[in-house]
Amino acid sequence: MVGTNLTQVLCDSDFCNTGWPTILTHLSPFGWASMGIAFTLSLSIVGAAWGIFVTGSSIMGAAIKAPRIRSKNLVSVIFCEATAIYGVIMAIILMGKMEDPPASDKIEVYEWTTAYFAGYALFTAGIGVGLTNLASGVSVGIAGSSCALADAQNGSLFVKILIVEIFASALGIFGIIVGIIQSNMAAFPTPP
Amino acid sequence: MSTSADIGTAMPAFFGFAGSSLALVLANIGAAYGTGKAGVGIGAMGVMNPEAVMKNIIPVVMAGVIGIYGLIVAVLLSSAVTAPIQQNGESINVYGWDLGFKHFAAGLSVGLSGVGAGYAIGLVGDAGVKAVGRQP
Repeated sequence: MVGTNLTQVLCDSDFCNTGWPTILTHLSPFGWASMGIAFTLSLSIVGAAWGIFVTGSSIMGAAIKAPRIRSKNLVSVIFCEATAIYGVIMAIILMGKMEDPPASDKIEVYEWTTAYFAGYALFTAGIGVGLTNLASGVSVGIAGSSCALADAQNGSLFVKILIVEIFASALGIFGIIVGIIQSNMAAFPTPP
Repeated sequence: MSTSADIGTAMPAFFGFAGSSLALVLANIGAAYGTGKAGVGIGAMGVMNPEAVMKNIIPVVMAGVIGIYGLIVAVLLSSAVTAPIQQNGESINVYGWDLGFKHFAAGLSVGLSGVGAGYAIGLVGDAGVKAVGRQP
């Protein structure tokens, strides 16, 4: 196996890291998949929350002198929330791909190669969707903030700057498309 | 029957999938930065010159295109990672280390260039739309 010679050269103990094989194979594929699910949900929500506080504070500040903007600019908050919903959808899809681990007496007959492949696929799908939604949520929040401030000055600007927010939230959709394609490649074997 | 020695054979798939996700994530980080920065500039100049706002949406569109580049490459790379095949009751990995590192490098190159492009679009778009607002 890769890295076997390095063990004898660098360190003789079983407790040394000798490279990628230690990281990639010493974490169970069910652990990789679970981390992917956790990251997709949590990072999407962090992005949505970040965007909401950026746009919300601007809306509240601008609404002091221009109270008419309050209801219309809640659309910006809804765009940020959609980012979190993409994360929830992706987490539910990824959870549906997981299977039970094998029983302790069936470990030798379990198809570990397919399981590791599926674990890596779910992990990278989750990280990809989570980080994309983080970036998208922040971008929507910043665009929403400038939308509220411009709307307070001139009411006709709201719809025009909303177009910027629509482009920003499209990034979240790109993430979920790739996440679904990657999770379709993952298929944990049924436990024997 | 799979033995514990087989647990390491699917390792290249991590790099293949990671390349796909990196292409997506990094290109979208660049696109998000460009969209946000140019959007702030549009908000600022729209107050001075409302008629020119629609013309100045172009930097935001350009930044969105960077995100689409990342999407396309991510879809191509994740479809290229082949699953282990079933043979005589056990699964054999067919996706080798060469493909894994190639796909990782491909995703990284698209992603990092997307970060650079999106960052540049954001800064130039912000400065440009503010300049157009003052002097069309």
